[in-house]
Amino acid sequence: IQDDHKLSTLELEEKYGTSINKGLSSARAAEILARDGPNSLTPPKATPEIVKFLKQMVGGFSILLWIGAVFSWISFGIQLAQGAESPFDNLYLGVVLALVVILTGIFAYYQEAKSTNIMASFSKMIPQQALVIRDAEKKELSADQLVVGDIVEIKGGDRIPADIRLIFSQGCKVDNSSLTGESEPQPRSCDFTHENPLETRNIAFYSTTCVEGTATGIVINTGDRTVIGRIASLASRVGNEKTPIAIEIEHFVYLVAGVAISIGVLFFIISVSMRYKILDSIIFLIGIIVANVPEGLLATVTVSLSLTAKRMAKKNCLVKNLEAVETLGSTSIICSDKTGTLTQNRMTVAHLWFDNQIYSADTSEDQTTQPFDQSSPSWTALSKIVTLCNRAEFRPGQENFPIMKRVVVGDASETALLKFAEVILGDVMNIRARNKKVAEIPFNSTNKFQLSIHETDDPNDKRFLLVMKGAPERILERCSTIMINGKEEPLDSEKAEAFQTAYMELGGMGERVLGFCHLYLPENEFPDTYPFDTDSMNFPTSNLCFVGLLSMIDPPRSTVPDAVSKCRSAGIKVIMVTGDHPITAKAIAKSVGIISATSETVEDIAKRLNIPVEQVNRREATAAVVNGMELKDMSLQQLDEILCNHSEIVFARTSPQQKLVIVEGCQRQGAVVAVTGDGVNDSPALKKADIGIAMGIAGSDAAKNAADMVLLDDNFASIVTGVEEGRLIFDNLKKTIAYTLTKNIAELCPFLIYIIASIPMPIGTITILFIDLGTDIIPSVALAYEKAESDIMNRRPRNKKKDRLVNEQLAVYSYLQIGIMQSVGAFVTYFTVYAEQGFLPSTLLGVRVDWENNAINDFEDSYGQEWTKYQRMYLQWTGYTAFFVSITIQQVADLIIRKTRRNSIFQQGLFRNKVIWVGIFSQIGIALILTYGLGHVTALNFTPLRFQYWFVAVPFAVLIWVYDEVRKLFIRRYPGSWWDKNMYY
Amino acid sequence: GVTLRPDVYGDRGLQIYYNVSDNKTWEGLVTTLRTFLTAYTPAAQHLNINCTSDTYFIQDTFDGPNKTKLSCKFTSDMLQNCSGITDPTFGFPEGKPCFIIKMNRIIKFFPGNGTAPRVDCTYVGDESRPLEVDYYPVNGTFNLHYFPYYGKKSQPSYSNPLVAVKFLNITRNVEVKIVCKIIGAGITFDNVHDPYEGKVEFKLKIED
Repeated sequence: IQDDHKLSTLELEEKYGTSINKGLSSARAAEILARDGPNSLTPPKATPEIVKFLKQMVGGFSILLWIGAVFSWISFGIQLAQGAESPFDNLYLGVVLALVVILTGIFAYYQEAKSTNIMASFSKMIPQQALVIRDAEKKELSADQLVVGDIVEIKGGDRIPADIRLIFSQGCKVDNSSLTGESEPQPRSCDFTHENPLETRNIAFYSTTCVEGTATGIVINTGDRTVIGRIASLASRVGNEKTPIAIEIEHFVYLVAGVAISIGVLFFIISVSMRYKILDSIIFLIGIIVANVPEGLLATVTVSLSLTAKRMAKKNCLVKNLEAVETLGSTSIICSDKTGTLTQNRMTVAHLWFDNQIYSADTSEDQTTQPFDQSSPSWTALSKIVTLCNRAEFRPGQENFPIMKRVVVGDASETALLKFAEVILGDVMNIRARNKKVAEIPFNSTNKFQLSIHETDDPNDKRFLLVMKGAPERILERCSTIMINGKEEPLDSEKAEAFQTAYMELGGMGERVLGFCHLYLPENEFPDTYPFDTDSMNFPTSNLCFVGLLSMIDPPRSTVPDAVSKCRSAGIKVIMVTGDHPITAKAIAKSVGIISATSETVEDIAKRLNIPVEQVNRREATAAVVNGMELKDMSLQQLDEILCNHSEIVFARTSPQQKLVIVEGCQRQGAVVAVTGDGVNDSPALKKADIGIAMGIAGSDAAKNAADMVLLDDNFASIVTGVEEGRLIFDNLKKTIAYTLTKNIAELCPFLIYIIASIPMPIGTITILFIDLGTDIIPSVALAYEKAESDIMNRRPRNKKKDRLVNEQLAVYSYLQIGIMQSVGAFVTYFTVYAEQGFLPSTLLGVRVDWENNAINDFEDSYGQEWTKYQRMYLQWTGYTAFFVSITIQQVADLIIRKTRRNSIFQQGLFRNKVIWVGIFSQIGIALILTYGLGHVTALNFTPLRFQYWFVAVPFAVLIWVYDEVRKLFIRRYPGSWWDKNMYY
Repeated sequence: GVTLRPDVYGDRGLQIYYNVSDNKTWEGLVTTLRTFLTAYTPAAQHLNINCTSDTYFIQDTFDGPNKTKLSCKFTSDMLQNCSGITDPTFGFPEGKPCFIIKMNRIIKFFPGNGTAPRVDCTYVGDESRPLEVDYYPVNGTFNLHYFPYYGKKSQPSYSNPLVAVKFLNITRNVEVKIVCKIIGAGITFDNVHDPYEGKVEFKLKIED
């Protein structure tokens, strides 16, 4: 903790060896720069690219494939040493397997790098400049060249380039929201006002912005030693947890790898005990591993996720980490900021009170008119005050922009009033010009009002008009009359009572209320040459005429209530966490539906029943508004209790640090928590959350760095569309995996039957790779484009522990039902091809040893014909091709059934997802190219298949489709039945 | 496909090595031939008919017993000096060994387009070097009346016609590479992938 804020200017000069007028010398500055390093935050330690790359090479199924490759090379070595006839097959297989691992690794690495790059562009900002005094000269320097002891000048609009101790200030205000979450600009002066360096007024912090005024200060901390830098490094220490989808994929990989290894080892033992040579058994083992591992699947999952990420980016959710796409879908609690996320982040006039009546104003983002009754002469008077007693102005040259989008110079309330007046009256500037201002007292915190005196635009009326606005109670004090329907009436106690009621009501809605009054100065006392003097106040400031009240609020974005109700029906709890006042927070929470219309807080119940708060049964209150001060004194159990017992929670007056506590509390409930944040101080919470969402517009770089996702439009509703996409991709990944796993059985059975029944090999290892990495890739990606089967926003978020990506039902149905049907279909094709060529199925059993014997070149078939070894091999390859083709044909049916898990394909529509058709055509196209285009390349083991063999498996494809339709029909007919429980995946 | 008897396979295809003075090295080869020819004794061939025509033996009807088709007789004596009758050791001890060449059965295959296909043996790679060969039957032809083959069920007693080759001037103690091709229209021997299509290649080394 430094005490620079307590030191005098002279002491500071001495401490830092600088001079306020001359600054540091360039040489000295260079020395310090060499000592302290540049004034920038060290980016979070990035994993070296090579490590990232290697991780991709050993993750997932890669280990299994590496084992397969190494085994292939070993058997190649042994065969080479034995001088066998064709040892190179195994060398090639090993090379292919290694290539598969390397290529999928490169692909995954590239995908990851691509999404990281999107973010990198974010953090690359325009290099910041700072105005520094060095060598007694003012210089523009890049901010990262600043060193401790530099004298810097700042002005409104600048970002503070380092932690600085102010030595001169003129009306300087800073926006500390990125640091403390306070949205009100804080005044800054040279005075030491607080022991705590964070609270004192004479220090301005790195990365905050100067809103208005000018200041000069001495740099006291740079880079990572700044307050922000220390918080940022704290954030990098909060560990990153595994995303839910990563856990699911890991679970799936273990499952499949487990199956692969157990079947592989089992059949290794079987084949050894069946007296196969060890070498052959090893080759079988490789085949079984290759058949079991869905080589292309992890790449497919990556592609599907990145497609969704792209879709989400279009909807303003920029995903930094691909896996976060799905995390958003499993979110069960969203902790949202209020300002800017739920609200429009601009003050807007919400209510008016005049003629003893409250009027509501339109607060939507794109208002062009105001619908309330404007016929009363009181409104005319009020509108005049609103227009004239206002210092805010539009920046010139924006006439073509919608009023709501124009940039205004002035504070938030005045901006609101200016825009409000412009919408109703049009051309406020012109009105002001016609009512020339002759005197003005700007708002200050002691008198709490603002006053101006104008000539009127009525040429016959030579009176001056005095207009005043300010804190309602202060304004009322200065009034003796009140305007009702355009007439001045004495302000009696009844009318004052009405005022009080209205004021309380508006204030109770969390709105900032302003009172307005005026006075026409009598012409005889104040002729048009009257010298108004604002210092001596030679004009009346009491006995004025009260005209009305206007109340303002930062209104909710119009899309938010709908989005919140969507969250509600989707079983997602929305918790508001804000630094704002509880009343305002609650009002906004109510208006957007975070607190529903019927629910009450403990305080509400106490008020209704007229009993003390302590006597209320806490269980009855569904809503809770928790103040940050209360939260500070709460134990973890108490917090858990609140999070558990109340479905609608608002945390108000919370500091960004408390956000972390709230997030951890939610996570203790087992929830998947999404957190929004923009400030640097939010970054630990963003990191801690299962999915941190940074604001794209208001967010600081630190927040964006810590987050998993960036919300480009800062809009809460975008989160909800993101949730929808996330849920959809989870469903679709299920479909993709089910599709991919099915054919594993049809790839595996050939090996098992080959070992047990000694038939000629039905399918080659290379051929399997052509299915896994060739024909099947585009179709499985196409499933990512599938539309939702029902309203996915009408069900609860998935239970992390129960709703697995790959569950037992999915595995059993894919492997043991559809998979077996596929295998049967493929074997029928295989036997058909062999039978037509001369080998009836009965002659194939047990034939393996002779079949593969190079020394038999007159092998007799069922018809007495004789075959050389090569002719048999060629037939075997034809068998491979036929097996391959029939798996492909049946995978088309598999693809179509996987479009839906519950609905009939007729409900879903065959043509809504056009990409599925791309998938089907690609599948068949690739198969055609492989068989007829590359059928003469011996190494690939494809042969130009007779055309009729393409159709042998078609009946099985139809069977698969019918079977699945029946499955879905029963699931829909008998929900909750045995069938539904076991057949729905 | 074309096959050779005796058929001893080494690492790289057929390899027939023996030593004339060591009868253990060639007795096995001779036994192989003898066993192979037991299917061609008159007793084994008694179901088959004597054919004299030199044209294809086309049968559209089932004239044989039990609705089968007839097959032509091929007996080992047709191989004359290589029949194992006159010389039970097939010339192995003299260094002038007999080999039997057989064509694989293919249903409804008409080799030679009307001319009987014949066997032609040469050194591999050096076809100009004279290889003295005696072919049995004369000219080393497969008579056309053994074709076409109608399948196992139609011709249950069918046996492949054979051609025996006797090499007369094999240099001793040197490994020689010999290829025996079947010359005839419709028979190809240039498939790079299949070493036994239309030809049979083997290494021969006779030591003393």
